[in-house]
Amino acid sequence: MHEQSLFASVPVHQHHELLQQLAGLTAMQPRHCLERRLIFKAYRKPGMAGRTGASQDLQQADLQRLNKMLNGNMYYTQVVGPVSESDFGSTAPVDGDTQMAGTDDSKPNVSSSSYDYERQPWKLEFRDIPEAGTRSAVTSRLMSSATLPRGDIVQAMNAWGYNFTTEYVVEGDMFIHNDIAIFLHRVLHYPGGDGSNLPRRQLPPLKDMTLFEKSGSYVLQAYIIVQDGSNQETMKTASQHLFGLREQLKSAVVLEQADRLSLDTRAK
Amino acid sequence: MSNLTQEQIKVLEQSRQRLVQLTRSLGSLIASLNQSDPLPPWTSLQSQASIISNNLISVSDQLSDQRDLLSNLVAYPGPEYPGRTQANTLEQLLRTKLDPRVEDWVARGRAAGTESTAGPSNFSSDSDAAHKPLSDAQLAELWEWAPLEANQEARRRNWGGNFTLEEREAGIENVVTGLRRQLQDDDGEEESEDEDGDGDGEEMDVVGVHRKPGAAEFEFNIATHHPHPVQPFVPLDLILRYMTTGRMP
Repeated sequence: MHEQSLFASVPVHQHHELLQQLAGLTAMQPRHCLERRLIFKAYRKPGMAGRTGASQDLQQADLQRLNKMLNGNMYYTQVVGPVSESDFGSTAPVDGDTQMAGTDDSKPNVSSSSYDYERQPWKLEFRDIPEAGTRSAVTSRLMSSATLPRGDIVQAMNAWGYNFTTEYVVEGDMFIHNDIAIFLHRVLHYPGGDGSNLPRRQLPPLKDMTLFEKSGSYVLQAYIIVQDGSNQETMKTASQHLFGLREQLKSAVVLEQADRLSLDTRAK
Repeated sequence: MSNLTQEQIKVLEQSRQRLVQLTRSLGSLIASLNQSDPLPPWTSLQSQASIISNNLISVSDQLSDQRDLLSNLVAYPGPEYPGRTQANTLEQLLRTKLDPRVEDWVARGRAAGTESTAGPSNFSSDSDAAHKPLSDAQLAELWEWAPLEANQEARRRNWGGNFTLEEREAGIENVVTGLRRQLQDDDGEEESEDEDGDGDGEEMDVVGVHRKPGAAEFEFNIATHHPHPVQPFVPLDLILRYMTTGRMP
């Protein structure tokens, strides 16, 4: 599958207006989304697993070729879990300050939310680095997603050669305009920084989440997912649809191709 | 006609005095309009105008009172006048036809005078149509046009507060309101209160959406000016990079 997208940075003061404009354009109300995103980083190359010994020259050459074929790069990949506002903890007014410390796991007096980490559904979202040197002015990248088992995902990911790196929350609003998905979102940090190297089992209150971009600006991503990326016809249609949307929103936001290296998912 | 009597000379002298007064007050009005910055207060303009008008009335009375005498007088140069060297001045003095500009003014004044007596239904094709009263049909047309136009003009603005955006950008101290009390520029405070409350809109922003004639797509009118523009601190690239790899910029 291929994902073609255009991006724009939306200053916070424009956010409310843009929501209304998008609602008018797409003839739908915004669908509010909250997502936990866990970043995993590959620590070993695929294809190398379990190969020990066997140091003969011939095999080594074979192995190298095989490695190249198996795409020797290591990638960052994301595990995305949808959450709802009620999953976030609520702070009792008395101990609001202790809650701010962010060590919610150890605080028994934090009123427990209904969030159940063991029941959290997950999806593996893989994105390749955007294609280089494409003629069309959209960000086009290979993508793939797969549903993962619910609950604790770290063990399974470790087994596949991925280490948990960090996690954050994305909040935003989703619109669908014909074949284009429009996602206006921003990144929220957990309070207290990245103390643990495991995904959180409890979520802090939503209002304690801090903005990654301090001014509160949003990212607008408009994207189309093309099933068959090798079909030039559909790829072209998709990018033309995106250009159409860009024209329509021209006076409100400037949708642009993203910097390729900023979407570099290769792990170095 | 023989020489002037003492009485007649006195009349001429009076006329001259009144004309001098008139030119003087006109000159002072022109000077105050040209030179004083900012413009003089309207009270002083008003009093100057009334002085001029009084002068005009007295000149006009004088001229009409002595009409018999003045229309019978004939001016001619005396034998001792240096006619050869001062021919230009002599011509100026003896000229009886009005200056062309002045002739226009007089014609305009006469037309206005006859019109006001003839009533508003008089449609002479005068060049100065702008000063004529409107006919009933024209008035009706104006009343039909004006509310729509005023409404449209009003919709172009985001109402609220005492000053327009242009005025605020140019600095509200410079705005000549003509009011004695101080106007508060309370707009900014209200806005910031709204933002503090993080309210998702007790206050609906009006965003214009309209179709261009001939164009298939909607056009959005986005307010290009925002009272509190906050540009993002972190560029888009770095946000995307963080979202991709989790590395802090």
